[in-house]
Amino acid sequence: MESRLLHVNLTTGELRVEQLPHAMFERWIGGSGINNWIMWEHFLKHDINCDPRSPDNIFVFGVGPLAGTGSGSGIKGRITFKSPCYGIFGDSAAGGKFPYMVRFAGFDHIAITGKAPRPVYLYLCDGHADIRDATHLWGKNTAETHTALNTELGDYPSHVHTLTIGQAGEHQVGIAAVVSDASRIHARGGGGCVMGSKNLKAIAVQGSGGVRVANPAGMLKWSREFRASIDRNEAIYGFKRRGTLGAVEMYQHIGSHFWRNNQGNMFRGDEVRSDNWVKKYHKYSEVCSADCFIACDGRYKIDGSESEKAQKYVGETFRRPEYLTTGSAAGALDLRDWAEVAHWGKITNDYGIDNQDLSCAISFIMEVNQHGLLSERDIGELFGRAQSLEWGNMEDVETLMADIVYRRNLFGELFHDGPYWGALRYSARTGRNFMKYSIYGKGGASFTEEMRPFPTWMNNMAVASRGADHLKGIGLIEKFQRRDLSKRYFNGRLEAADLSTPVLKGACTALVENQVALINSYGVCLFHWMLDPTGYAPEEYYGRAFAEVTGIDRTPEELMRDGERICNLEKAFNSRLGLRREHDTICERWMFEPTTEGMYPGRVAADMFETVLDEYYEWRGWERDTGLQTASRLESLGMGDVAEVLAADGALARG
Amino acid sequence: MITVHAQYQARFREITQVERESFELETPRVAELATRLTGKYGPTMQALLMDADGENLNTRGTLYLNSRGERVFIEDPLYDGDTIYFMVGIAGG
Repeated sequence: MESRLLHVNLTTGELRVEQLPHAMFERWIGGSGINNWIMWEHFLKHDINCDPRSPDNIFVFGVGPLAGTGSGSGIKGRITFKSPCYGIFGDSAAGGKFPYMVRFAGFDHIAITGKAPRPVYLYLCDGHADIRDATHLWGKNTAETHTALNTELGDYPSHVHTLTIGQAGEHQVGIAAVVSDASRIHARGGGGCVMGSKNLKAIAVQGSGGVRVANPAGMLKWSREFRASIDRNEAIYGFKRRGTLGAVEMYQHIGSHFWRNNQGNMFRGDEVRSDNWVKKYHKYSEVCSADCFIACDGRYKIDGSESEKAQKYVGETFRRPEYLTTGSAAGALDLRDWAEVAHWGKITNDYGIDNQDLSCAISFIMEVNQHGLLSERDIGELFGRAQSLEWGNMEDVETLMADIVYRRNLFGELFHDGPYWGALRYSARTGRNFMKYSIYGKGGASFTEEMRPFPTWMNNMAVASRGADHLKGIGLIEKFQRRDLSKRYFNGRLEAADLSTPVLKGACTALVENQVALINSYGVCLFHWMLDPTGYAPEEYYGRAFAEVTGIDRTPEELMRDGERICNLEKAFNSRLGLRREHDTICERWMFEPTTEGMYPGRVAADMFETVLDEYYEWRGWERDTGLQTASRLESLGMGDVAEVLAADGALARG
Repeated sequence: MITVHAQYQARFREITQVERESFELETPRVAELATRLTGKYGPTMQALLMDADGENLNTRGTLYLNSRGERVFIEDPLYDGDTIYFMVGIAGG
């Protein structure tokens, strides 16, 4: 396996290419695994406690070994950095054409450090790289920047694909995102802020190369079988038409939405809880990447006939919103018109900001106001003007969004790192405790879904390395009650799929975290994983593809240990920053306020939380009282070198 | 003989063209309901409802729940008056 890492020092302008050894893939698989190791090594030489907005932070982009191979699934690129909004490990994935084009341009990973003296963009093309002036791009949104770079660079030797930041990243908003080709978004953790802090406006890439694989015939055979299995499943036809929005009706039935800052879990508007958007808005499906066999992406165009409110957005065309964009708009903010939901998705992409954190920050302040806790004076101080804070009011939402994107008043300054830090800062400033209205896990804003009925998900929100998260250990066995998978992975036992017991929920968190770490390191889309013919067994199914591409032939058991190793490195990063058991926690509402509606009313996390967390540490082989890793477990994973670093930092369990 | 109700969402509803319907079953099992559905709606329903082997319910991108919020599998029993919700969905984004 050949792989090239491009080092970029924006302070000095130095560019250096390093050939990654094959052993790197044997230990870290690729994608997020290798990104994590690059960041780990960086912070052995730099202060890990640095300000994430300082030149000492690192911004790593990487692709997995399946990218650009025609496998039909290796579509994800990943960015990795120390998170400016949560102050801990940060990373985020996005699909699209940019990842494979980086490989076609001759690179697999890019590690960017330092800070440019003025706005720049990084240009990669067929094995070469240079740093170019981006003064003319500063101030543009992500779509404008993408278009400008395409005009500037032309169509030879290929179309231009980009990673860009918008105004949020330029203003170093903690929850700023990085947007790929003006449509796919690396939303979580504040990667856009890190780029902005480095004066890095964009990365643009063109390439005409290819990707060598160890066994082309085997890869082609795997790919054809995968394609056939996709085509046989009629559910995927539905997925092509609806994308993740197909879940809206399902979640309405279960009671798994996130309504008005999670005061409820059902959408209210008849329009947004219906399937009407498919008939009214959907124009066509498309693939986000040449490397995807599914095509769950789609295009909207608003012609104004859809609703009265749609007339305001006539002519807007954009990607179909994903479920979580809808969850944030129709749920967290209670917007009830599809055109508004779609417009919300478009402008958050244009500004380059995570709509999960953003919606939770806005819905926090709306709920505080709903309870009569903000006086006119409070509002004047926060916003510097009279400000309505009305649920479902798009005008209010857009105004508050701009406050945060431009950090143009006290509200923007307090809440640009998301609802957790915003609530803490506002509580400290006023001497009043508002934390009960902040919905978070481990300091990260909630994903806009109801979590309380699902103990594995609650645990995910508490332990995920990058803060509240379902994308690090998505609890599908439990939420979708997969008794078949519980039996497969837990020696015939059924409890992992049973919502009524804490038993095996911590174990299930650890199991799925390891699987997701593998998926993220292969560079495979999580949707492909959910639809794979073996039924959520990436160590078996994608493990075969990994072997054909890299020549590294592992048993499923060995691959699961690889996944565990990757999770342990993320954990070690956070342990070095001082995170312990008390940081693996969730917000007051989830812990103590029962759900009142949906299929599973009366659920609170507190009933099972500590039991599940204890079991999670036990399955991980970590110390229960502190949550710290043990030398013996790390050594068994071939991570003795990591254990030495933790021991030196006082971040290793004593036992 | 028992009566069970089937409630459809999304792709299921597109195939059946109804939101809800009832079936009288001689064998109170999910397997019989599945047979009735594939018999009534043909190969498209077969490809949505069942795995490629045709022996188990399709678990990839689907969720089938009874009125008590429990997922049903092919071997599970059904009870008189049960409603089974046939849903399609993958959330995220």
